[in-house]
Amino acid sequence: MTTIPEAPESTSPKGEYIDAGKAINHSQLSSLKHSAPNVTKGIDYERILKARTAEPQNWITYYGAYDGQRHSLLDQINTDNVKKLKVAWIHQASSTGLIASTSTYAFEACPLVVDGIMFVTGWDGFLWALDATTGEQLWRYKHAVPFDITLCCANVNRGCAVANGKVYMVTQNAQLLCLNATNGEKIWHKAIGDVRAGESASLAPLVIKDTLITGSAGGEYGVRGHIDCWDLETGDHKWRTYTVPKPGEPGSETWPADGEAWARGGGNHWVTGTYDPELNLYFAGTGNPGPDFDGEVREGDNLYTDSVVALDVDSGEIKWHYQFTPHDLWDYDSTMEMTLFERDGKKLLAHFDKNGYMFVLDRTNGELQHVTPFVDRIDWGVITRDGKVTPRKYPEKEGEPVHFFPGPAGAKEWTHAAYNPNHDLFYVPVADVGATATRRRREFKEGMPYWGAAVEVDIDNMAGSVSAFDSHGEEKWRYRMDMPMAASILSTAGNLVFAGKPTGEFMAFHAETGEKLWEFQCGSGHHSSPMTYTVDGKQYIAVPVGWGGWLEGIIPGMSAQGHGASLIAFELSD
Amino acid sequence: MPMKTQDRSELLSKLGLDGQNKATIGRVLSTGSIGEATERPDGTMEATIRIGEDEMSWEPSILVLPHGGTCELTIINDDTNTHACLLPSNGDKKFIGLLNGSKGTATIELDGPGYYWYGSPAGNDEGRGLTAAIVVSGEVPPEAKLDRPAQSRP
Repeated sequence: MTTIPEAPESTSPKGEYIDAGKAINHSQLSSLKHSAPNVTKGIDYERILKARTAEPQNWITYYGAYDGQRHSLLDQINTDNVKKLKVAWIHQASSTGLIASTSTYAFEACPLVVDGIMFVTGWDGFLWALDATTGEQLWRYKHAVPFDITLCCANVNRGCAVANGKVYMVTQNAQLLCLNATNGEKIWHKAIGDVRAGESASLAPLVIKDTLITGSAGGEYGVRGHIDCWDLETGDHKWRTYTVPKPGEPGSETWPADGEAWARGGGNHWVTGTYDPELNLYFAGTGNPGPDFDGEVREGDNLYTDSVVALDVDSGEIKWHYQFTPHDLWDYDSTMEMTLFERDGKKLLAHFDKNGYMFVLDRTNGELQHVTPFVDRIDWGVITRDGKVTPRKYPEKEGEPVHFFPGPAGAKEWTHAAYNPNHDLFYVPVADVGATATRRRREFKEGMPYWGAAVEVDIDNMAGSVSAFDSHGEEKWRYRMDMPMAASILSTAGNLVFAGKPTGEFMAFHAETGEKLWEFQCGSGHHSSPMTYTVDGKQYIAVPVGWGGWLEGIIPGMSAQGHGASLIAFELSD
Repeated sequence: MPMKTQDRSELLSKLGLDGQNKATIGRVLSTGSIGEATERPDGTMEATIRIGEDEMSWEPSILVLPHGGTCELTIINDDTNTHACLLPSNGDKKFIGLLNGSKGTATIELDGPGYYWYGSPAGNDEGRGLTAAIVVSGEVPPEAKLDRPAQSRP
């Protein structure tokens, strides 16, 4: 094939050109104010430490508080009046032109609210600042995301962080951005990953002290996962901790001694971690090993994949770890939230893993307390209550299909559980769907998918639920569905639990009984994280809506349901 | 049967894929020329993109930037119809209206590597052929690379 020659120079039909001027920012052709009150100016570490109790009107960090409980103390909306919820406003998000992964874009974010201003990220580099009482767009930022960026598994972003008059987000092409919170103008940005290697970024950064914690995505492309710490003001790099050790480092004995399996080992931290200020530990979940389904090329337990690693936030040193699925052969990431709670005076951590089991650990040292299954169908293997793992069904022989439960999206994907400490209840979005994987070995090549299998998730015979478990793992109630749950749960002191279905219904349940008290059809499926806040004494419930993401993995039977792209806020009617 | 040995531009012409109202109604995207931006001493880049008369396509249809950063574009509409240009840029897209026989400029900032689409957001200009690519080549900064031995690529 030859290069097509450049077109010849041409002149205007009239011999001279009309001056078209200089291109302007597209948002100038809108009603945007391009400014917002400087509400994040006073947000600092001390305020985030007390976020839940000192300012329940706000939601100033990804989970609402460092402990990851996703539980709000607001109770104006409660079991007595929740039937009176109505739409307060709708933010319709949209984009123009061709975007990366056109078929998968979706909201996967949890909005933040600070003193009446909402900050929410979308797909393809969007961040909006909205008036949280009216939904009016105040400013927006749009990063240019390459069309050919490597994404596993969708054009999504889970949220932002705020502090010191700034807003922080990562982009799909692995950039970390610091924006002026009053107008969205960029202050600095850093490349935090190698897009040619298949790295991207999707998590909400977390502000701790005067730093920001981020992680990487790309575990399906044979990258080496890492967690990074950045200076809040300057963006200077403070530390990086790889979640797969190099030869000679602690944990390297769990990888083949010869070859470079470790260099393609995965273990990405693609969902925001939680933090205990007394222990000075950041609890990071890590993703699947690479290749996902071909374990023969990476014999061993493959630390620190599918684990929680407890990092000293000042140094990045791994103080302890616990691996939920040693030598994973099913794509069972453990990136999902590590919820911090106390029981009988003991500092504990709960985790609902893709592998279908609920783990409770002593978060001071990683010691296992107990393990309990939380989904009906598990046949990939068995984990006993004291943590002994016995694999049973897995892709072993080349070309031989193996069906197993749960499928690679797990019994719970990234979407978050919530915890109400008053009832000692975890509310869990459960998925019950299987998959067939057929091992297909392939040579590793940088930037190419590195699964080691052909994978097909079941399109029928699926189920799901919103399930309530106490911290010992005993199920207290269940709202059954004929498809997986694919959205985060919100718990409030109004004795309510909020959850959205793939079919669009946004529901409120009684926190103690599971009785459905209210629902609203949002017009598109739910795959994000609802939150709550108050402004001028009025409580709102906000939920990003829109069907997309890694649907072929999570719920392929609903992958043609159609997109949506709205953020809906609810309030009580008078 | 694909005709792999025949020159691509001849095939595009023969099959009527490289113009308006031939085999297709509009023009298939990226069937025009390939151009490269020029790098200035300060590291910024410059290039010209153009709409020819009755072509309904951008020339070049693929513009290659040697690396990420700032690029100043001269944008020319030689067509006898009105169009526009909406370009990717970090922070916000850049828009310029293009009356018949007009010329303007745009300054864009793009990360590299990767490629981006831009177009004329008017009617179905984008579908008729007024969608083109900007390719940013190069590598990420050394500090953003993984600590591992060099790996083979496809």
